[in-house]
This record gives sequence, structure tokens and C-alpha cells, in this order.
Amino acid sequence: MSEGPGARGAKVGGRYIGKAVSRTEDRRFLTGYGHFVDDLYPQNVTYAVFVRSPHPHARVREINIKAAMALPGVVAVLTGRDWIADGRGKFVVVSPVESSDNVERPQITQPVLATEKVCYVGQPVALVIAESQWAAQDAAEAVDIDYEPLPAVTRAAEALDPEKPVIHDVAESNLIFVKEIGSRVAVEAAFSAAAHITELTLTNNRITANPIEPRAALGQYDPGSDQFTLWITHQAPHILRRDLSENTLLHPEHKIRVIAPDVGGGFGMKVANHPEDPAVLWASKMVGRPVKWTATRSESLISDAQARDHWTKARMAFDAEGHITAIDVDTIASLGAFQTRLGASIPAQFYSRTLVGLYRIPAAYCRVRGVHTNTAPVQAYRGAGRPEASYVLESLVETGARELGMDPCEIRARNFIRKDDFPYVSSLGLTYDAGNPLGLQEKAIELFNYGAMRKAQAEARSGQKRQLIGIGSCAFMDCTGVPSAEMLKMGRKKVGGWDSATIRIHPAGKITVLAGSHSHGQGHATSFAQIVADALQCPIDHIEVVYGDTERVQFGHGTWGSRSMITTGLAVAKAARLLSEKCRKIAAHQLECDVGDIEFRDGWFRVVGSDRQLPFQTIVDAAYQGGGLPEGLDPALEQVAYHDPSERAFSSGYHMCAVAIDPGTWRVRIIRYVAIDDCGRVINPLIVEGQVHGGIAQGAGQALMEDMTIDHTTGQPLSGSFMDYAMPRASDFPYFETGFQETPAASNELGVRPAGESGTIGAVAALRNAVIDALHPFGVNHVEMPMTPSRIWHSVQLAEKRNG
Amino acid sequence: MVDVELKVNGKDVVVSVDERTLLVELIRKDLGLTGTHIGCDTTQCGACTVHLNGVATKSCTVLVAQAEGAEVITIEAVAGKNGELHPLQQAFHEHHGLQCGYCTPGMIMIGLDILRRIPNPTEAEVRENLEGNLCRCTGYHNIVRAIQSAAESVRTGSGE
Repeated sequence: MSEGPGARGAKVGGRYIGKAVSRTEDRRFLTGYGHFVDDLYPQNVTYAVFVRSPHPHARVREINIKAAMALPGVVAVLTGRDWIADGRGKFVVVSPVESSDNVERPQITQPVLATEKVCYVGQPVALVIAESQWAAQDAAEAVDIDYEPLPAVTRAAEALDPEKPVIHDVAESNLIFVKEIGSRVAVEAAFSAAAHITELTLTNNRITANPIEPRAALGQYDPGSDQFTLWITHQAPHILRRDLSENTLLHPEHKIRVIAPDVGGGFGMKVANHPEDPAVLWASKMVGRPVKWTATRSESLISDAQARDHWTKARMAFDAEGHITAIDVDTIASLGAFQTRLGASIPAQFYSRTLVGLYRIPAAYCRVRGVHTNTAPVQAYRGAGRPEASYVLESLVETGARELGMDPCEIRARNFIRKDDFPYVSSLGLTYDAGNPLGLQEKAIELFNYGAMRKAQAEARSGQKRQLIGIGSCAFMDCTGVPSAEMLKMGRKKVGGWDSATIRIHPAGKITVLAGSHSHGQGHATSFAQIVADALQCPIDHIEVVYGDTERVQFGHGTWGSRSMITTGLAVAKAARLLSEKCRKIAAHQLECDVGDIEFRDGWFRVVGSDRQLPFQTIVDAAYQGGGLPEGLDPALEQVAYHDPSERAFSSGYHMCAVAIDPGTWRVRIIRYVAIDDCGRVINPLIVEGQVHGGIAQGAGQALMEDMTIDHTTGQPLSGSFMDYAMPRASDFPYFETGFQETPAASNELGVRPAGESGTIGAVAALRNAVIDALHPFGVNHVEMPMTPSRIWHSVQLAEKRNG
Repeated sequence: MVDVELKVNGKDVVVSVDERTLLVELIRKDLGLTGTHIGCDTTQCGACTVHLNGVATKSCTVLVAQAEGAEVITIEAVAGKNGELHPLQQAFHEHHGLQCGYCTPGMIMIGLDILRRIPNPTEAEVRENLEGNLCRCTGYHNIVRAIQSAAESVRTGSGE
């Protein structure tokens, strides 16, 4: 399908699309009537508490449950042996990465409950079920596990050190895969001929998603129908159901119902396969009662799938005029102690391919080695690979600019892909359809008032107060919405790239949309309804959007990777268009004219150029009565539609920010933040701006304060509560300044591009660059993240010592 | 066990609870008022904020036994009797001050407390006073905007 945006007249300038419509789903959350998993207290419910490994690496010698079983209120204590004895299965890697060296290495996933060995602090070993939360907690403490501690390795950079322990007995080393992309030969040639080379060693620190709703699961088994029901905080209920059926629980898929009701934020973490999900569901059958588990925050911090954790050596070659001639990146990416479903593909497929961003870089080469460490498994977190890539790329670009004595905006402008270069094939093998990076930069420079800010910075530096102001930018490209055929090439035999929607126009004229993606803050109930309301010419409050229940909704892949609008949204648009066409056929039949002569406006089907018309409800009545339809047309008004992207979707952005660093405390304060995004056609600016705000805060959080701190001598995580894991607070930010440049995507009928993760992809490097810009007068050229006052102070001390 | 009498959303509550029962547990489990949420275990996130004797309080850090004779207001009692949103709730709606909605009840309860104490708060005052409430979705931008914008409508008398 090659019709461009706006090809179907009803869409452009619609009554709802493009408007800042306040969200239809807000009311229940504002009044305290949201429905989250932990809000459910079914009759006869029991409470589960997991017993978790206190060691980063240990053999399990013995698990003694006698004392725990003897405590009052204890219903059961279940271990991995019970799981195995009951004939249950194990997790699989859905997206295994094929190594470039053609060596096959074992794909190791975590057992639902550990039996022989534990490989990270927080790994579940046993499950206690009791009459009350308190009783379960008391009993969990009484489960006596005899561990034989083993030496651990927790740093990505050390995982391949031959002196360090190999974590899994079945593996020869901690190496999971080696992925090489680009041309090493071309890169070596470019570096030999370079006028200037910039080199950096960067750590992308381990962080965690921390949605404010902790993970929770409530399992129930009905012996009468042999049906399991799992209420769970999850972003992709159908994918979870399939995993439960085929891999872990081993129970027919149609006999498992997964319900993800209101979910309090996910950010990629809640799409991972966590062992608690099958464990709780299985336990409900074992005890014959509903079993409920809700993570405490401390539990979440050690057991939720975590993110990032890269160690990278990177270099960039320039010619004498500041043109980038090559980029060379070597990364070790920790995937934690076990692989998650999709975790390995993040550094191998998404990070690696986006390393050239929006620049014309003729030669590029990247080697990524995925490794195991004795840490919690790594999975997607907002941006998944792209924030890591923009951090490397944009750190190199600004460092190079400084070393070459060029303005960082100027060096970017000199290297950007030009508007006329699109479609552009990058040296890392992606084809970008369209964009205008220079346009983004111009808008950012104007909104930021770049010239004036540079002047103010110089004055502040020389002024009496010696205020340290830094200005940093990040130009980035986002790439997501991978078509199913591409997914297959990646080795994802059981994950497609498509999504689905069903639209049901009820006999009374109101409309239900069943969406294959999940909404946990993204506002699908509103933006999907906007699309339907325009196509079917009805008020938005006539439309209800339903998602998150495998029994109500057709199969869909759920929400991750900014994919909902560019897949499900387009399925919604298609279903709405097909229904509108069906209604027009009925109207034409009833009005005795050609379908081509029917126009559908303001809820009326009208014969063009006449006063003959029928209202929407009359057509609906006819469709449901069935007797007055054109020959061959089925009755009723229900339409399922699917959308599989024809090509990957790209969006781009330019972020620019200013920070002030207090020379007494070295605390970084963000004073300005400008974000210009090109996410194609914007369906609802209110919602998209909100996504950008939240994304920026998460990127800034990593850059300035968030860290899953691990004591690498003992392997113990130190960020065990919100006292020790620094979450960004309201006072950490100014009002953000946002703007859009809309380059509609020609590959889809709405012209939309991905939007949900761009804030994070831009913010990490923009803040890093601003902080270094403020500190470079001291001779500081890099500070590792999070750039805390202590780290900054140390960097300044070191640099001053170095420079005498 | 300990016997406690208190008032929640204007209704008398007489309970006998385990000594270690937290106010938030009573509110959520025993009274079924699940709009008050739990997001952490160290009094950092503020998702459990209620009004205790008129003051915004984290109900995860109060024992039921400590609430003897207290008056508690939860999110469920903020909208009017006929369901009309309080001006602060309305401002959150209009300014997109919520995304996933999980921190929202706590944000509304602290927001009301801010407006009670500071009728015309500056941006900096709102941000400082949100110190004890975490949101992961919004970057706080629209929450701050909503509270500032509601200040005016509350001052003009349509609110508390």
C-alpha cells in the first residue's frame, strides 16, 4: 500500500486527529477508581512471598521448609523441585542472537524457582503461601536454605576476564554472543587517513525502570473448566499467555486467561518474562485457592529486569574540516545472570544499528559482546538500545567538536544527512525513509535562543559569581516498528511485528475498539478513539477502547518499543475505514445511488449534490436487521484488521539543554530543556508532549542520579530501596520546552512515526554533554553516569591534578 | 489485637486489628478504598498520601493504632457527591497531569494540601512541596502546571 498520508480525505483536518483532546480514561484515576492488580481481593485469597537468594552466586545445598510450614497461617511452601515434579517447563529465549563468529553458545534462561544454583541477588528460590501477608512474610524468613557461596562477577567489563568465574556450568565462558556489523576494513582505512581521532571509554550504568506500581500477580485456577486466570501487571498479555502455555506452565493456551487491567507504568520492564508470573499462577492450582503476590519496592529493585549496563570503547575519525569519516565501537553489554525473552537483541540489533544516528558517516563498524554477570537479568527499558547508542555517538561528536575547536551545533550541521539525501541507506545497513535533521536543529537553536545562551554562559564564567553554565545537545534517530519479515530474519520465530484491532459498532450505535496493544499511561483509549471518531464521524465519547484481556481481545503483541500507534493505531484506522466503506455501501443501496456518490459527513450519509441523506444510526439499524443490504454484503458491523509495517519506522529529534553547576556543592541543576521531535503526524499533541516530558525525565534521571549501585567486591546490590536508588523528583526539573517538526511517514495511512521513547533517547547525551561543557574549563572531558556531585567533584580534582 | 475508632471519609470506623497493621492496609483491604496506592516501603513515593486530620500524610507510615480518633480523607472523597471533579482533579485532566494514573491519587492529595497552605504557589514552591511524591511517567511538568492552574480556581471559591 503506497498511498501517502492524507490520501483518504476524511483523515486530514479531522475533528479529532491532531487536536489536544483531554484523555477519556482520566476520570477513574483521578477519583480513585482505577483497577490495578493489587486492588483485587478475591474470596478465599492467599498471599505469596518469594524467598530470594541473598548471594550473587552460590550453590544451593539444601532447602529446609519444616520450620516455615509449622508457622501459623502457612498454606504451602513450594520449591523448584515441586515445580519440576509437577511437570512444568522453563523459559526460552525468543530472540536468540546469532553470533558473527558462527559459534553456537547455550541460551541460558532462569528457572522459575532455583534448585541447584543461584546466580544473582534476588533470584527466587521458594514460594511461601499463607493466609495473610504477615504470615507469609514471617514464614519466608523461616525457610532455611543452605548455600555454598561462590565467587561472583558483576561488572560487564570484567565478565570476559579469564580470572573471573564462569557463571554457568554448561558454558565455556560468560560470552553469550559476538555481533559484528559494518565494515572493519573501511573503518581501519578511514582511521589511517583521519586528520583527527576522538576516543572515549564510556560506561552506560545499570539502571532500573521503577514504575510506581510494583509488579503484582494474582493467580486463580478453576478445576471445573481446567482454566487458569492470571491478573498481572504486564504490557503484553497475549505474549505472556503464549509463553505460559508453550514454555513454562505447559497448559493449553485457550485454557489460560491473562488479564492486565490498569497497569501503573511499565517502560519495557513489564514486558519481560519474570519467574513470579508462572510461579503464582501454578501455585493457585497447587493450593486450590487464589494466590496473590505484590512486590515490595525493595523486592522490585533487586528482582525486576534491569537495563543498560554497557562498557564501551569508541572512537571517531574526522577529516580536517570536521567531517566525520568513521565510527568504531566496541561494547560489552551485560545481560545479567540469565537471558530474558528479548534482552539479547537490544544491544545486538537495536543499539548497534543506530550508532550512526542522523549523520552521513561513510564507514562504521561495531562489535557487541553480550555477557552474563551475577546481576538481575536485563530487558528493555525506555529506548532499549537507542539511548545507549545516542550516548556513545553524541558524546563522541561533542568531544570531537571541542577537540577540533568547532561549535557543536556547527559540527552536527556539517555532518547531518540532508533532507534531499532521503531515503538514506546508512553504513550500518538501515534505510531511513525521510527526515530533516537540519530543520530540527534550526528549530531547537531558535527556541533555545542558542546565541544568547552562549553569551550568557561566557558572562557567567567570567563574572564574579563564577557560575558554571553548560550547554549540551543531542541529535538522535529512533528506529522501531520492525516488520514481521525482518523479525524473522533476526531469528524471532515466535514474535511478529504486526498488531491488531477489532471495531464493533453495536446495534445502538456506540462503538467498542478491541486493541491488541496495552495502554499503561500512553493514552490509547483517547488517541485510538480520535482515529475512530474521525473515520466514523461520531462523538469521541461514543467510543470505548478495550485492551489487556486475552479473553476479550484478539491476539496482539502488546506495547513496547513505541510500537502502538505505528501498528495497532494503523490497524484501528484500517478497521474504521473498512467499516466506513461498508456503511457507505449500505447507504448507497438504500439511497439507490452509486457508492462513489455517497459522502459521509457529520454523521450523515448524503448523495452528493442532493438533499437525500440518511443518518448513521439508520445504516447501523439496517446492518443489524440484515434484510435491506446490498447483495453479498454480510450483516452486522464488526471488523477485525491487522497492520504489519511495510518498513521500519524512523523518528528523529534534536534536544538542547543548559545546566548550572554549583561550584560549592557541584550539584547539577537543569535550567533549560528544549526538545524538538519529528514523530511524523501527531494524533494528540497533549499526549505526545506528555510522552516527551516523561522520557526526558527518565533520561535525565540516568544521566544525573539514578544508578543500580553494586558493591563489586561482594556482588551485593546497594540500591535496595528508594532511599538508595535516586528517583528524579519534581524539583529536579524546569518546565520543558517542546516543539514538533512533522514529516509524515509515507509508508502508512496516518503518516505516524514512533514517539514514546524519544525523550529518553535524547536526554541522556544532551545532559552528559551539557555537564561536560560546563566542566571543560577545568580540563574535564568525561564524567561517568550518574553525574552526581561526588563524581563531578572527583573529576574536577583529578583533572586539576593532571593539569598541574 | 488493638481496638481503634476513627472516621474515614466522614464514616465511623470501628476495628480490631493486629498491632502492626498500617493505616494504608486498613484503608485498602478492610475498607476497600483501593484508590490509595502503595508504591514503596520506605515512605519515599507518596502514592499512599491521604489527609489525616486535614494534613497530607503518608498512610504507609502510620499504624492504625496511631490513628485513634482521627479523621481520614482519601481520594474517593475528593470529587463532589454527584461526581463532579474538584477543580484540582479537573486541572489534572485538562493539563494531562497523569499518565498511568498510579501516583495520581497521592498527587491529588498532596496537591490539595499545597493549595491549602499556599493559595498562590510559585512554580518553585509547587516543585519543592512535591518532594515527597514520585511520578515516573510525566516528568512532573503537567502535574506542576495543573496544581498552579488549579490554585486560581480554588482561590475563587469553587473548591474546598
